[in-house]
Parts: sequence; structure tokens; C-alpha cells
Amino acid sequence: MELQVLKSEPDMPLSAPGKSGRTDIDTRLHFAALVNSSNDPILTKDLDGRILSWNRAAARVFGYEENEIVGESILRLIPSDFHQAENELLRRLKVGETIDPYETTWTRKDGADIPVLVTVYHVRNETGDVIGASKIACDLSERKRNDESRFRLAAIVDSADDAIVSKDLNGIISTWNEGAHRMFGYSAEEIIGQSILRIVPDELRHEEDEILRKLRAGERIDHYETTRRKKSGESVDVSVTISPIRNGAGQVTGASKIARDISDRKRIERLLIQSEKLAATGRMAATIAHEINNPLESVMNLIYLARQHSVVEGKVHQYLVTAEEELERVSHIARQTLGYYKDTGSPSEVALHALIENVLAVYNSRLTALGISVDLQFNDLQKIVVSKGEMLQVLSNIIANAIDSMRDGGSLKISTRKVLGSSGDGIQTVIRDSGTGIKQEHLERIFEPFFTTKGDLGTGIGLWVARQLVERRGGQISVASSTEKESSGTTITIFLPLAFPISRLTTEQ
Amino acid sequence: MDGADSKEQQRSLPKVLVVDDERRIADTLAEILELAGFHVMVAYDGWEALDQAARFHPDYLLSDVLMPQMNGVELAIAIRKIYPAARILLFSGQAGISNILLEGQRQGFEFELVAKPIHPTKLIELLKSDD
Repeated sequence: MELQVLKSEPDMPLSAPGKSGRTDIDTRLHFAALVNSSNDPILTKDLDGRILSWNRAAARVFGYEENEIVGESILRLIPSDFHQAENELLRRLKVGETIDPYETTWTRKDGADIPVLVTVYHVRNETGDVIGASKIACDLSERKRNDESRFRLAAIVDSADDAIVSKDLNGIISTWNEGAHRMFGYSAEEIIGQSILRIVPDELRHEEDEILRKLRAGERIDHYETTRRKKSGESVDVSVTISPIRNGAGQVTGASKIARDISDRKRIERLLIQSEKLAATGRMAATIAHEINNPLESVMNLIYLARQHSVVEGKVHQYLVTAEEELERVSHIARQTLGYYKDTGSPSEVALHALIENVLAVYNSRLTALGISVDLQFNDLQKIVVSKGEMLQVLSNIIANAIDSMRDGGSLKISTRKVLGSSGDGIQTVIRDSGTGIKQEHLERIFEPFFTTKGDLGTGIGLWVARQLVERRGGQISVASSTEKESSGTTITIFLPLAFPISRLTTEQ
Repeated sequence: MDGADSKEQQRSLPKVLVVDDERRIADTLAEILELAGFHVMVAYDGWEALDQAARFHPDYLLSDVLMPQMNGVELAIAIRKIYPAARILLFSGQAGISNILLEGQRQGFEFELVAKPIHPTKLIELLKSDD
């Protein structure tokens, strides 16, 4: 870069009128004022590197007053590591080489480092010879700080779990962080420049129009819950906050969008709603149970009496027998659903293997008839405090299911052993059958009330009740199943902690 | 069969006191149990039951749980105190009774409970079993 005759005669006082007349002097004064009022440090030096002039900004940034530094070597400002480079620079200046602006570090009077961007201009005399240089040393401290905070922000954005995305007012994606990559499956490379509609499900496209309309109006959209589509086609529940991005003039030029994955929360909400429904159903059942079970009891008694008084071989007798059978069906479901009440016996120390043997004794004839072999393995005979009636119900519901799944025979394996659970020691009972198994899509529903895989034969109550009873006792029940030929079967695992849940001792109603 | 014999026979039959505020249930059960060879008395509430028991000295008490004035557990506790040998069986058609039963447990009393509806044949078996 070249700058013509700014100060070719440094010894000439700037304020003194020169030979060339008023206009010339005015120009020089203007230049001097300009230089002095510049916000960037400006200095000039001769070809030996001696400082010839020094503006106010230079004094402010580097701490030397003009009278302290003028006449001193420029090397006073340059850390010793760069002295060699400075000498090289002087050499290039002398031969008139152009020097590109460069970033370096200069030293302040107090020893502190100042990052600077240095722009060097040749100073030539009237004959065009290089007689020195002027340097503008732009203070970069502020910019460095900005850069750092920008890098820090970028790092935060990239390490965030939330998807952080920006788009222009046409919905074209301009930035895409790692969180967005993880959440939606698209990498930044493949999605930047694409429309945001790539992640909006078809049926929600109208939403995006509305969002863009609001953004253009400068409105912000807070915690808006919606659904987005992943690259894989799966849906993800998100809560999004969308803010307009404005340029320096305050015009909205785009939007930043923060999306949080709320699938987990949604799942829990759905579960809560479900259990609320169950609780409501339970309350309703309790309320109407009395009104159903009592008349049922009366009708059952009346039919029984009518049958007792009828002629054994007569038609009436037959009708009553049939009526009684039908009534037994109603009673069965009513007892299991409406009349389902907690076992009344207080919890006592019971050996689980003894209970299992009790249940098997009840089913013995069916087991034999169907050709089901029974294999028992009791590795721990420790007693556990349970409500005997409840546990009998749990075990018999599960064992009855196992038997139902082995219409053509099979094997029933039951084992108990002591295990260390996360919430303390307990007894694990595993009931494994070689039956038909439960289809994968049914597996997650089998603990739901009224869900059955047995058609008309099932009530959909057994496992639901089993789970309620096990969980009330502080335990867990889980299922695994396979419908694959040769290896089909279902395994139910029950874990009961040895410790009796404290809540039940105090809040039992 | 003369009157004395019949009385003698009645005395040897097991005596059941049936209590339910639902009269139809109490009455039909009385008839059923008579047919099954029990000597039966009926009451429609707890106080009446206590009166009956004083005269009748039942071997069995078969009582509903949810009744006005005196519930089945209170009645059962009273009967147990007066006739410790009497066998007590409660029956109920409702789920929300565990607090009543728990109150009994707190006082140290536990009773057998069966769910309504119960088939008469099963009920008879239950009463005749030695348990």
C-alpha cells in the first residue's frame, strides 16, 4: 500500500505555514487532525526503525506518551521473539516491497501483550524514494474477546442435548448443531440448504406456514409442543422455542429454533393417564360391585332353590341347570373384576416353594391330562413375608396361563432362588413353559386389564391382577416370550424383596 | 316322628346364624342351608343378630360385612367374645371393605372372608369342611 507524502519532512512543524500557500497548509492540518483523532494507533518510523510520530490512540493503547517514544526504536513495542521479523520487514520496506496487513502481538509500556492487526504504508519523498513507513496498528483485544466468546457459544451450541437450528424466512436451514444431528438423524452437511419441511410430518406442514408468518411479524414462539419426523421416518415428540433473528437494522432475516426431545415425558404422561383411568375404573368397580354382586347372590340362591324343588328329569330342571351355568359365567367375571378385593389375612412368613406346590396340586389333574411335565428347582427355601392369599392368586394365574398355552403337552419349569436386587435382597421365581408363546406385539400389553390372547376363554384380568399384587408387595414381574417353532414358550419372572414395603404397613386401607 | 324326636334331632343339627341386610339373600340362604341339613336362624342387622345369638347359641355365624348400624366385623368380634367356639364366615360383594377388616385385625381378630356371589354348593362345602 502506498500513501503519498503524509509526513515527508518530519522536522517541519505542522502548524507553521509552508511555502506552498494556505490550501496546502490546511490539507496538512486536516491530515494531522485526522491522524490524531483516529481511533486506531498510527505511527510513522524511518528506515532505521526509529519512531517519528505517534498519535493519541497509540498513546492510549500502548501507554507511551508521544514525548517518551518519539525517537525511540520501534523494537520497544515488539516482543524480542519478533525482532528478527521486524528487521526483515524493514529490509523489505527499503526495497519498496508491498507488505500485506498482518496480525501480531505488540507490547505495552506495562509489559502486557496487545494483539494487533498491522497495516504498513510506505512513506516516500517527492522524488518517490521510500524514506520510512507509517503503521496502523489496529487493537484486536476486543475482537479476540468477541471471537473467544463466539467460539465458546459455538461449543455450547454444539454440545447441547437440544437441537439448535437456524433457518431463513423461507424455511431453508442455515445451521444445524450436533444435537439436531442426534435428534433427527440428518448430519449438518446433508441438511443445510434444505427446507425445514424435511423434518415436519406431512400432516403438520400447515404449522410451518403459521410459524413463518409469526416470525415475519417478529413474534417469538415459546415451548410449542409438536411432532417432528426423523430421517428414519420415526416420529419424535418435541417442545420447540422459535425466535426471530434480526440483522443490524432490526429486520427479521431468519429464525433460531431450539427443539427438545420430550418423548420420555410424553410416554410418562401417557402412562399416568392410563393409570389414572385404571384408578377411576377401580373406584367405579368398587362402587357398583355391591349393586351387582348382591343381586347375583340372590339370583344364584333362587335358581339353586328352584332347581332343588324341580323334578330332576323334567324340562324345568334342565332350564335351571343351564341358567345356573350361565350365571356362573357372570359371577366369575364379576368376582374377578368388581369383587376383586385384597386378601384379608395379614401377611405372614411363607415359603414360596410350598405355595407353588399347593397351586400345582390344584392343577395336578389338568397337568397330567395334557401330558405336561413339571420340573421344580427350589434353590432357596427361605421364607418370605407375604399375604398368602395374594401370592396364591398370583402363582395360580400364571400357572393357569402356562397350562393354557400347552394344549399339546410340554414342560413347565419353576425355580426359586435368592438374588441380590437393586433395592435389597429378594426371592426370584421363574415360571417357564414350552407353550405357544406370546406374539411380540401382544407382549407389551399383556399386563393391561381386559387384554387377553385367549379370545372368549380369557377375561384379561389374570396377569393384570398378578402385577398389581406383586407390585403392592414391592416386587416386580416381567415377561419374556418366543413364538418361534421348536423354541417357543413364555417365561414369567417375579422378584419379591425380602423386606416388606413400609408403605403397606402404614397406608393400608 | 313325634315332637320330642324332632326337637332332639333339631338340637343335634349344626346351628347357623345367617345375617344380611339384603333380606332376599338372608332368606334364600336360610332355605338353602336348611335343605343342606343345618338348623338356621336369620337376622337382618347386627343388633338383631346378637339377640338371636343369645337365644340360639349358634355353631356358625355367616354374615355380610357392609351393613348399617353394626358391620359384619363388629358383629363377628362380639360373637367371638361370647361364643369362642362358633365358627365365623364373612361374605361380601364389595371391594372397599379392607379398612373394616383391618380395624378388626388391629383389635386382634381375623375372620375368613368369601366373595359374593358364592355358589350355594360351595358355601355348603365350606361350612361342612372342618377347617
